[in-house]
Amino acid sequence: MDRKNLIIAGVVIALAIAVAAPFIASGNPDGLESAFFGIFGAKEIHGESLDEHAAASAEEKVTGITGNTFEFASPFPDYTLEGLAKPGESLVIALGVLVVLVAGFGLGKVLTRDR
Amino acid sequence: MHIPDAFIPIPQAAAYWAIALVFIALSLRWARNEMKEEKVPLVAILAAGIFAIQAINIPIPWGTSGHMMGAALAAIVLGSPFAAVFVLTLVLLVQGVLFGDGGITVMGANILNMGVIGGFVGYYSYRGLNAVVKNPYPSAFAAGWLSMFVAALVTAVEMAIAGTFPLELGLLSMGLYHAVIGLIEGGLTAVALYLIFTARPDLVHEASGVVVHG
Repeated sequence: MDRKNLIIAGVVIALAIAVAAPFIASGNPDGLESAFFGIFGAKEIHGESLDEHAAASAEEKVTGITGNTFEFASPFPDYTLEGLAKPGESLVIALGVLVVLVAGFGLGKVLTRDR
Repeated sequence: MHIPDAFIPIPQAAAYWAIALVFIALSLRWARNEMKEEKVPLVAILAAGIFAIQAINIPIPWGTSGHMMGAALAAIVLGSPFAAVFVLTLVLLVQGVLFGDGGITVMGANILNMGVIGGFVGYYSYRGLNAVVKNPYPSAFAAGWLSMFVAALVTAVEMAIAGTFPLELGLLSMGLYHAVIGLIEGGLTAVALYLIFTARPDLVHEASGVVVHG
């Protein structure tokens, strides 16, 4: 494959992963969240199930410990688009891919320009 | 491993931002001095692909999940740990600002853990292992695993300093989960490296420390 086709292939693969992601990703807490819930009594470290009620109070407790109450309203919280379920998630993750792609390309071009 | 805002007090979060900014500045210097212009599309596609793959959480035992970090891959393919800092900073910035994935005040800590620790551990363990094993794929697997494991332990120490996790239990649970998530990191790093080297054999020579077979 020549360079141009490789670039196209790379972009297509990234977009395909983005579109598939909401349909195949696990909704389980990630490693850090799972450790957090385990330590704050919302789940056993080796356990499968999460106590949703205890999880909510764990989140309150940790803010009390750190005092960091900073909140930021992102446009697509947790990769969701209001009103649209999984297709909306695919759409915003694909949008994220394009933003990273354009930002990376633009920044790279600017940084390598004056040589 | 994305830390949310509530997990670290703001003064500590600011300190991690300060450290991260030093490495971000060094990564920009790397891009300016070392990154070849013809590599720009590759860097951008790697960043976009890593952003996409980070959206796929794979289930592991104990009701938990994890996703690839991509720092080791970026550092190995582009031949510098600063490339990982460059790529992961971009990814974490978009994740935090557009999707609320990882906090804003703590973004410095996330860049430090995933970009800097992930990138440096991934790159130098790959170099060291590949010099002995002389096969990029098992080296990349082990480097990917180690980058995830060490980044998780550093995160646990930060959580202990923050008062969020007790040190021992934090290290134990973070270590346990990420020892498994590291297998995902290692596997995907080796597979992605194989695909990239197959598509672009010229990169094999350029990824430092790689010995070409056949």
